[in-house]
Amino acid sequence: MNKLYIFLKYFFIVVWTVFVVAPFLWALTTSFKDFQSVNGGVTYIPWVDFEPNLEGWKVLIKSPAKGGVDIVEPYFNSLFVTCTASLISIILGTLSAYALSRYTFKAGFVKNNDITFFFISQRIMPPIVLSIPFFLFLSSINLLDSLTGLIVVYIVLLMPIAVWIMVDFFNKVPREIDETALIDGCNPYQAFLKVVLPNSIPGLIVAGMFCIIFGWIDFFFAFILTFTEVQLLPVKIVALNSSVTPWWSLSASALVSVAPLIIVAFIVERYLSKGNLSGAIK
Amino acid sequence: MAKIDLSNISHSYNPNDTNPVYALNPFSMTWENGNRYAILGPSGCGKTTMLNIVSGLVRPSAGKILFDDKDVTDLKTEQRNIAQVFQFPVIYNTMTVFENLAFPLKCRDFSKAKIDERVNSVAETLNLKSFLNSPARKLTADQKQLISLGRGLVREDVAAVLMDEPLTVIDPDLKFRLRRNLKEINEQYKTTLVYVTHDQNEAMTFADNIIVMSEGEVVQTGSPKELFERPNTTFVGYFIGSPAMNLFDSEATSENTVKINSTIIKTNTNLSNLKTKNIKLGIRSEFIKIAKDQNENLVDVNVLKVEDFGNYKLITAKMDNFEIKSKINRETEIPGEKIKLHIPAEKCCIYENNKLI
Repeated sequence: MNKLYIFLKYFFIVVWTVFVVAPFLWALTTSFKDFQSVNGGVTYIPWVDFEPNLEGWKVLIKSPAKGGVDIVEPYFNSLFVTCTASLISIILGTLSAYALSRYTFKAGFVKNNDITFFFISQRIMPPIVLSIPFFLFLSSINLLDSLTGLIVVYIVLLMPIAVWIMVDFFNKVPREIDETALIDGCNPYQAFLKVVLPNSIPGLIVAGMFCIIFGWIDFFFAFILTFTEVQLLPVKIVALNSSVTPWWSLSASALVSVAPLIIVAFIVERYLSKGNLSGAIK
Repeated sequence: MAKIDLSNISHSYNPNDTNPVYALNPFSMTWENGNRYAILGPSGCGKTTMLNIVSGLVRPSAGKILFDDKDVTDLKTEQRNIAQVFQFPVIYNTMTVFENLAFPLKCRDFSKAKIDERVNSVAETLNLKSFLNSPARKLTADQKQLISLGRGLVREDVAAVLMDEPLTVIDPDLKFRLRRNLKEINEQYKTTLVYVTHDQNEAMTFADNIIVMSEGEVVQTGSPKELFERPNTTFVGYFIGSPAMNLFDSEATSENTVKINSTIIKTNTNLSNLKTKNIKLGIRSEFIKIAKDQNENLVDVNVLKVEDFGNYKLITAKMDNFEIKSKINRETEIPGEKIKLHIPAEKCCIYENNKLI
């Protein structure tokens, strides 16, 4: 029984690992292939099955004048926009979430829960609904095709996620913690900064992770709200495609674009597995 | 340390509604400096609301709070210099035990030397010395509660330490020791301690003054002895003591006698000014004994059961339609099923509309 259990456990782990890792390996080998090796039948192992070359990778850093598609600038644009928007969203989102969790708001029939739901309802709408308003809004303030404009839009998109996660998290942090800090002599701001916030780092990390993921992978708004001045990575990668699909450089760009998320995942995973997420308050 | 005056305090959580529900009905009270008080009452009677009003977490709907005759009603919690310990341990997870204990002093800008001295002294009292450098979240629940207590005791000048059922999570053995510790701390530093509990034994053994509350009302304040012997209301009689006070519906027959069914009982209470017929006689089962040579205040009863509690025997008997309980010595023999019990006149409490007269 026990042996069977161990066997099944490892069997599923192996199946799952193959399922997750295989596409990456496939992309990795493909990125070192050229037209010949991609279209000349199925091959797996470099040097044995096919002769690897770096053409797929070189294209990504070559300037368009030399026949490449320079993704370095879009890459840093994406990093900058995602990180800035995530940071601002987390700061604003955490502050509003704390207020929503600790104070009572009432405007007619609208109460705390309705306000919280209003935030997340922004994400329930299909993005296409928002595209025209965003376009008109950015064009009216002259921020179309600019990093600032993208950051503004991303904050609108990411803050609901931060609010939603943090409200839930703060609700799980007992009020007595704030009250104790007040009794111990903090003013409400100090209580929040010195006591509640350090206790909420796991929540901040989770919220940050989601913001970074959703910011980083967005194609739709990056595509609609930018033209020539500013480009973000997802848009640039799509632009790689041509009449002859360049599988090698598409694979290479897919790998570099997923790299930051893998790093984020590793950091968050380490943090979460330390058990710091468990609310050790009671 | 301070004298705390609560003057005409009342509180409602929905004061603007047409029919506000009062969590605390108006009352006035003074907590003398350096005394030990227990607030005793069933769950939901307003004990915690009262504490929160004193600490400033709740602003009373009406009335004033004075610390040493200074009005602090509108002062914020952090300006009141009060310590409060909650039912469940509240610790700062991200800090060590030392940092936890030092936090109230740090917030008030004490010098490092002073902080070290106070934290060490409190850690000594509470047996936390060997944990000072461990992360607070790694400790057990009762150690965490000690930290909460410690944060309350670390400030010497604190006006009062308010404790909201602080020993709930602590095992009985340690509970007993901690209560003694608290008493010692109170005697040594003359810190005013206010202790909320629903456990009468805890209240009786801890406090020199007990405030009994029921449904948002302060029903009686007094020493454990007063509460036990002369409960102000039938509620207090029922709530304090184990078993609860014996209470019998009765009617007044002269200016100092009442009739329970057909038995006349003499009391020391003047009954000439009674306004209603709703009279109850209350007597503690501790004072009811098997009659020996007395010739008045005797009742005939049928013994239903006798329980031996090790240090005393509890007789439950039937007196016509009433049940009567009597606590007697273990050694006392019960002569038979039909016995006579003696109700001492000086221990009888007479209640009119459930209030002592």
